Amino acid sequence: METIRLEHTFPAIFANRDELNSEVWRQDVTFERGKLYLVEAASGTGKSSLCSYIYGYRNDYQGVMTFDGRNIRNLTTSDWTKMRQRHLSLMFQDLRLFPELTALENVQIKNRLTGFKRKKDILQWFEELGISDKVNSKIGLMSFGQQQRVAMMRALCQPFDFLLADEPISHLDDRNSRIMADIMVEEAKRQGSAVIVTSIGKHMPLKYDHILKL
Amino acid sequence: MIWKLLRQHISPLQFLGFFLANLLGMLIVLFAFQFYRDVRPVFSQEDGVIRNDYLIVSKRIGAMGFGSPTFSKSEIADLRSQPFTRSLGAFTASQYRVSCSMGIEGVADFGTQMYFEAVPDAFVDTDLAQWTFKEGDTMVPIILPRSYLAIYNFGFAQSHQLPKISEGIVSMIDMTVVLRGAGKEHRLRGRVVGFTNRLQTILVPESFIQWSNHEFAPDADASPTRLIVEVANPTDDRIANYVKQHGYDIDEDKLQAGKATYFLKVASGVVMGVGLLISFLSFFILMLSIYLLVQKNNRKLQNLLLIGYSPARVSLPYQTLTVGMNLLVLLLALTLLSVLRTYYLETLWAMFPTMKEASMTGVILVGTVLFLTVSVINVWVIRRKVANL
Repeated sequence: METIRLEHTFPAIFANRDELNSEVWRQDVTFERGKLYLVEAASGTGKSSLCSYIYGYRNDYQGVMTFDGRNIRNLTTSDWTKMRQRHLSLMFQDLRLFPELTALENVQIKNRLTGFKRKKDILQWFEELGISDKVNSKIGLMSFGQQQRVAMMRALCQPFDFLLADEPISHLDDRNSRIMADIMVEEAKRQGSAVIVTSIGKHMPLKYDHILKL
Repeated sequence: MIWKLLRQHISPLQFLGFFLANLLGMLIVLFAFQFYRDVRPVFSQEDGVIRNDYLIVSKRIGAMGFGSPTFSKSEIADLRSQPFTRSLGAFTASQYRVSCSMGIEGVADFGTQMYFEAVPDAFVDTDLAQWTFKEGDTMVPIILPRSYLAIYNFGFAQSHQLPKISEGIVSMIDMTVVLRGAGKEHRLRGRVVGFTNRLQTILVPESFIQWSNHEFAPDADASPTRLIVEVANPTDDRIANYVKQHGYDIDEDKLQAGKATYFLKVASGVVMGVGLLISFLSFFILMLSIYLLVQKNNRKLQNLLLIGYSPARVSLPYQTLTVGMNLLVLLLALTLLSVLRTYYLETLWAMFPTMKEASMTGVILVGTVLFLTVSVINVWVIRRKVANL
């Protein structure tokens, strides 16, 4: 997948707002493969909505969104399954990890599906992100910052053309943000894919190609 | 790993409830079916010798023994001309003395006086190659009433510590038949080629009776005492009326057996219905349990779908669970059934030694169809439920 295009798109609940003052909503925006995007937003401007529309689990928007020119409203369930295994990855703001599973199992549950990474590589990430002692801990017992790192690893365990990271570092210190950014960009570069990061203030230290105000 | 996630919130108690209810339902359905199949032949035994749609007509014997027990030519002609009659044959009895002895390896140890009767060959539904007699033959085929065997097995053999014998063995025993009359005596071998429930008489081919009556009782009157009638429709009211008007008797066995079969059918049907109802309710218990499970694990299932698992893959653990339980229920029900069956079969065999055991193929088929139907619906419902998350 090369492009994600938003044509005059906006959340349905914004229909009555005249002034959106946004560089994304009600605009024509194209996200291209291989580039880095930052979507800056104040709270309540529809940041997570944007991710959920692109990721296909909400469709309460107006306007048209396309993947390579194909209207995503026409994608079937199996299209979306394929999309989420091979082309699109999302690191959820609310993480959506499984509290019953350990940190490693939470990553492996995705990796088993895609068979994309070796266990060795995953353990290496744990090492780099400073949570190697938590590999076999239940997710429910870990701090939100630690969980964010696990969620990111999970998001990287698949081939993707676009990686959406919804407030990935909200609970991380600068050092860990840096490490996470490096791992993410390295993986994206290796795959030649685009990264779209959203943020409500604190944002990942990256060389963004485009910064959009939501 | 998915299973580790999705088995959360499974309530063993609910599933045990479903399991027991389904097992009970399945067992009742299968039991009723199998019992019906096992018992039915006892009531509506295909005779194998005399077809079931033949009626046997005799004259009612008056209290004082008045009136001729034989049918005159005009009476036969009248019955033959009735609209319900398709064809008619007369029983011809032997008019001379017959004695018969049965022995193993030439030692005669069982002898009796007896008589023979014959009906036209067209009414005898047995292998016609065996059912022939020509003058000069040394062997005569015989059909015995099945009750004779029962009398021997349960009355005689029991009290004399003799072995019980089966129909197959009887057919292998040699009988010596001696015919006496008109100052002559003739010996020949008899072989039992079949058994019947319908006729309380010893049946031989018509050609044998004609030859032997002519030979040993040339002057005797051979008017028949019983007639065999093929009717178009045995339930025709006109038959009963005609028989009553003329003071005849017809064998009501068949009618009684028909009623018994009917009640058996109704009873089995009701029991099977109850079993199906229980199965149906247990099916709902299972569906509710699954719904509840899906609801409780709603977020987990959703998250699995969001990280790229297909609805089919996410449904699979619950589908496997239900189909596995259904299969277990089926196998257990069939096992229990075959155990239960041995109990009543023993009793039935004691009562009806000639009863042939019905196979269990039918009941396995019924169970499998039930299992497949329920499983397919389960699989489909779970899949739909997951897809609608």
